[in-house]
Amino acid sequence: MDFYFGLLQIFGVHTLLGLSAYVVLLTGQVSMAQAGFYAIGAYAAGAATAMFGMHIIPAVLLAGLVSAAIACAVGFPALRVKGLMLVVATLAFGEMVRMIFFNLTWQVERDGALVGPNGAEGFRAIRYFPENGWEIWQVTTLIWIFVALVMAALWWMDRTRAGAVLRAVGHDEVAAQSIGLNLTAVKVGAMTAGGFIAGIGGSLYAHTVTHIEHGIFGVLLATFAVAYPILGGLGSVFGTLIAVLFIQGFLVEGLRFMGDWRSLLFGALIVVAMNLRPKGLLGDTPLRLGGLRRKPSSTPALQEAD
Amino acid sequence: MLTLENLSKHFGGVRAVDDVSLTIREGEIFGLIGPNGSGKSTTVNLITGLYAPTTGRVMLDGYDLTTMAQHERTAMGVARTFQNIRLFGNLTVAENLWVAQNGHEQRRAHFLSRWFRAGGERGADIDELLEFSRLLSKRDVPASALSFGEMRRLEMARALASNPRVLLLDEPAAGASLEDGQLLAERIRAVQGRGVTVLLIEHMMELVMGITDRIAVLNFGGKIAEGTPAEIQRNDDVRSAYLGSKHKNEELAHA
Amino acid sequence: MDYFFFIDLLQSLTDGLLFGTTYALIGIGFTLIFGVMRKLNLAYGAASLAGTYIGLLAFLNLGAPPALVFVISALGAGVIGLVVYYCCFRFTPETVPMASLLASVGMLLFIDEVVVHLSHGMPYPYPSVFRDSVIEIGEVWVRGDLLFVFLMCVVAMGVLFWLLHRTPLGLATRAVSQQPRAAQLCGIDSARVNALTFVIAGVLGGVAGAMTAAAVGVLSPIIAMGLTVKGLIVVVIGGLGSIPGAIIGGLLVGAAENIFLLLRGVTERDIYVMLLLFLFLTLRPGGLFGAHAGRD
Repeated sequence: MDFYFGLLQIFGVHTLLGLSAYVVLLTGQVSMAQAGFYAIGAYAAGAATAMFGMHIIPAVLLAGLVSAAIACAVGFPALRVKGLMLVVATLAFGEMVRMIFFNLTWQVERDGALVGPNGAEGFRAIRYFPENGWEIWQVTTLIWIFVALVMAALWWMDRTRAGAVLRAVGHDEVAAQSIGLNLTAVKVGAMTAGGFIAGIGGSLYAHTVTHIEHGIFGVLLATFAVAYPILGGLGSVFGTLIAVLFIQGFLVEGLRFMGDWRSLLFGALIVVAMNLRPKGLLGDTPLRLGGLRRKPSSTPALQEAD
Repeated sequence: MLTLENLSKHFGGVRAVDDVSLTIREGEIFGLIGPNGSGKSTTVNLITGLYAPTTGRVMLDGYDLTTMAQHERTAMGVARTFQNIRLFGNLTVAENLWVAQNGHEQRRAHFLSRWFRAGGERGADIDELLEFSRLLSKRDVPASALSFGEMRRLEMARALASNPRVLLLDEPAAGASLEDGQLLAERIRAVQGRGVTVLLIEHMMELVMGITDRIAVLNFGGKIAEGTPAEIQRNDDVRSAYLGSKHKNEELAHA
Repeated sequence: MDYFFFIDLLQSLTDGLLFGTTYALIGIGFTLIFGVMRKLNLAYGAASLAGTYIGLLAFLNLGAPPALVFVISALGAGVIGLVVYYCCFRFTPETVPMASLLASVGMLLFIDEVVVHLSHGMPYPYPSVFRDSVIEIGEVWVRGDLLFVFLMCVVAMGVLFWLLHRTPLGLATRAVSQQPRAAQLCGIDSARVNALTFVIAGVLGGVAGAMTAAAVGVLSPIIAMGLTVKGLIVVVIGGLGSIPGAIIGGLLVGAAENIFLLLRGVTERDIYVMLLLFLFLTLRPGGLFGAHAGRD
């Protein structure tokens, strides 16, 4: 049973990670910094509970805010560039964050033992849940409450003008500027929201595994963060959720009987999926309250326009 | 109202716009014409802020727009359309107008209600614009599914959604037939009727000669003539500028 | 400045510049592909390393001499480059850039897993040449193996330049990278040019992978991520689509890496490299030689 709760926890934190990239992707930007924000959230929340005895809920929110603040500060210079330049700039930021945690040693004494990040060894004993007698189902529920809240908020946002604006910027930046949208504000706003979500995800992750170290938050995790929403499709938040279930559930766990070979299949299936469904498993048509939006039935207009 | 003062834009050694001064009066339809590559589109891009000028200033009612960002110019009342239509094909028709509500008055709405209220694409102001553009029946259709003519109308409506004071139309008749040109002329007059000043950049001579109050002619980035349509048709410099293209020259004489 | 420190600095700089040519090759590969397709191939580093492993197979199973191992590595990477093109780029729609990007990520994971699977994740010895010879220039030592790496990379670049500027294929490639639509109208089969570009880039990557392994003397799967990240960095520093830029970018990265290593030690080195990169990108987005600033 515990195995399935553990799996649900992985789904939860990875969904948050994917959603953090989803918000930024809506504006057309591929950010490889999400693993960095996730790491910042993990270390910040770990420090809050394990080193300073904070309650888990405020610690998670605090971690989200710290990540959001850093995302906002990084967004201003980084979002001046786009496309490949942004991929590499954010990659550089993510790696920088990872290397800073690799070098960070900051320990305080609590109950006669030293706790805190300890360089390459990582940050051990983030034991808020076991120390306070939380059962695994309670922890899982807490994670999924956060996932549900974030998904609901993003789903709501997508129905508001903010959501339409993000998609407008993602579709055509020149046109978006011409109608009076402040590109910097929109993109940095998306990045900040993404940072907040990644921070929450990271903080929950840190508490479920109790031991974090820099190696987890590498380029691979950053790649996964953007892979979930692209694979699932940018139509709605559910695309990201489906992709997490597909990758973490089906490929990592569901194909366990295939032993080591399943990790081979994993990359191959992404390649196949992108060839067959280039716009993601659920497509990129925005989902609205009234159900699936009508798809353009035909495209004679486009031919005429040429 | 809209004034260009000694405006220049150089790309390396190329003088795309060279020392152009213009004054567009409140409420008029002003035509900006010239052969291909004469700097018309660059001028539009300088007015809206897509490019920064090499020298010179853009003034609107005495306010200097030159150093303002594009979104600030929209708030000041400048809006535009594009020669090659640039709609948000992933949004519905109504949403295209919704995201464009960035005018001065609209900006004063409370932050939360402006950005995070659902259903704003069903507002009365948007309906009115859709009605004006004869697109009300298409309100929930993705913009990418519209016909070419509808796309042009939507783009103009989107430009009007910020309640601009001056609207820059960059070759709105490109790709349209002569009959479409007649309809377009009516639409532009209707826009003028809403109290919006229009700067029309156009190749189609009949359209320009028929509806503009005044015209400026660009050639090789410089202004070679300015006046009423009748004056422009008589102008020798304008004729020789168009001489390279005999067809255009005849068009000019007959219009 | 301390004399010995100065010598150390010169030594680091020399090693870095010599080794930087491998980064330059990877950077050129990224730039070539980006040039013709305007797309990013994230599987490139992994594909190059996989080619190197094919060379290793020949070395371990057939006992091939080093020269042959290097050639097999390069050709193997060329073939894998072609496979990557057909799997990730040929059939994904051009209008959805994210599709090919993610497909190449899938390919990266796939190739990486195959390599880890076959090698059991263990590092293997890779033939290196002139390991023990050293040329002394004053107090600075030029390591023979690094000099060999340097020369091989320079030869690869020379062949590339000949290919691009002296052959019809090169002309077609340059045409497609400047004006894809116009090139197509002139009867150039852009799909074929794209495929060939992937092969050429793959061969360059294979040379880079082989030389990286030869310089270290071991081949291990973790080299792939380094090749990818360093390659991307080189491309953006040099400017997208600029081959001279990629060369200078590669040398700069090689030199900067070694100097920070000397100044700050191995654990902190990358913080400074990444910080420098981040600042460089955001303050000078066009790169040193790039014409398409911030283009996507």
